[in-house]
Amino acid sequence: MRWIWIDKFIAFEHGRRAISIKNVSLAEEHVHDHFPGYPIHPPTLMIEGMAQTGGVLVGEAFDFREKVVLAKVTRAKFYCHVVPGDQIRLEANVIGEIRLEGALIEGRITRNGDLVAEIQMMFAHLDQSRAPMELGEENFVFTEDFIRMLRMRQLNHLEPPSEKHGS
Amino acid sequence: MALSRDEIMEKVREALVDALGVDEDEVIPTARIGPDLGAESIDYLDIVFRLEKAFNIKIPRGDLFPDNILTSEEFVQNKKLTEKGLAELKVRMPYADLSKFEQNPNVDDIADLFTVNMIVGYVEAKLASAAA
Amino acid sequence: MRFYLVDRILELQPPKRIVAVKSLSLAEEYLADHFPAYPVLPGVMMLEALVQAAAWLVRVQTDFEKSLVLLREAQNVRYGNFVRPGGQLVMEVEAIEIGPDASRFKAVGQCDGQQAVQAKLTLEHFNIGDEDPLRANLDAGLRTLLRERFRLVGGPQALAARVPS
Repeated sequence: MRWIWIDKFIAFEHGRRAISIKNVSLAEEHVHDHFPGYPIHPPTLMIEGMAQTGGVLVGEAFDFREKVVLAKVTRAKFYCHVVPGDQIRLEANVIGEIRLEGALIEGRITRNGDLVAEIQMMFAHLDQSRAPMELGEENFVFTEDFIRMLRMRQLNHLEPPSEKHGS
Repeated sequence: MALSRDEIMEKVREALVDALGVDEDEVIPTARIGPDLGAESIDYLDIVFRLEKAFNIKIPRGDLFPDNILTSEEFVQNKKLTEKGLAELKVRMPYADLSKFEQNPNVDDIADLFTVNMIVGYVEAKLASAAA
Repeated sequence: MRFYLVDRILELQPPKRIVAVKSLSLAEEYLADHFPAYPVLPGVMMLEALVQAAAWLVRVQTDFEKSLVLLREAQNVRYGNFVRPGGQLVMEVEAIEIGPDASRFKAVGQCDGQQAVQAKLTLEHFNIGDEDPLRANLDAGLRTLLRERFRLVGGPQALAARVPS
């Protein structure tokens, strides 16, 4: 199981908003434990999808130089169940602006226009927050592998989110 | 549109309930954000962003919660605020009640100053100067 | 990788409290991505561990009445220290209320005595048959599987060891 909970970005506006999608598939291991015979994509992994969407939005603001980590989930509320065969759309919006101290993101997950979840979360930069351990120079949060897989160098070529994306 | 102190208090209460997950009735004027309402370091930033949005104001770093005073040698000696430190604090937080803190200005007790009232006072002052 | 985030139940005091453990091993493959050269238990996995611990308390308290127990809402999830491979997340979950269809909890996870995670949780409980009548026949089998999993994580022993209230 990889630790990537989104599949691609479909819209991006530097410092303000990002939209990604994730396909949920029977080919994924975890749904067969959650639950056997009745697979449901876990709400916590949808929180992670939003964390990755928001994390890239916040990270891009500093050119992926900072190690952006999830510091707090203020609230995550779920309204319906997502199952294999579904595609979810994860939209992250910056509240206020992205600061060096951190950022507050308001997220919405939908599936075919149905509201799946509303999530508010905060990001911080690792060097400034909670790492008592020695950290090297390399950015292990935004590795070249991760950047390549999610095509993060092409983000600013994507259309900025418009009202049409709200489906 | 000028907000009354009560209206400000209401919006501040909402921001604190959302950011800290406390009940509305815990957010009394004298409640301290840290010791009483359980705020931790990331929560202070959460509160700042919510207040900016609720009141359409800008709160620069260290303006509402002047923690940067605590890192300066000029202002802090032996874990207590110096004369200069206290003077600086008064300038930075004119709406806070420093009378008790002044008597024994331990750096560790600075969280006692960050009360709901203090935030309401800050917002009031900010809105008044924006309107002026 | 299996999506089991509770390895053992240490204490069980229905309806009020459960203490459980998630042990973290380098053998867990997803750690290779989180993060390369700096593996730590992802924050949402800590949250899932708290959810699964709370879910065991619900199941025991309701005698596994509803086969599915899922997170409906999480509030104020705050993270502290990381949990690293070789470490254990020790979770203490206190029930605020357990009803037939939903329940609420306050939960804390510690590693080496330091706080790693805290959260307020609301769970929902339902049967497959409630959502999809055509597959209602699956509930009985799932219930049996979950009772088996409860044995796997030391549930009956923890119940037997509980202090009478």
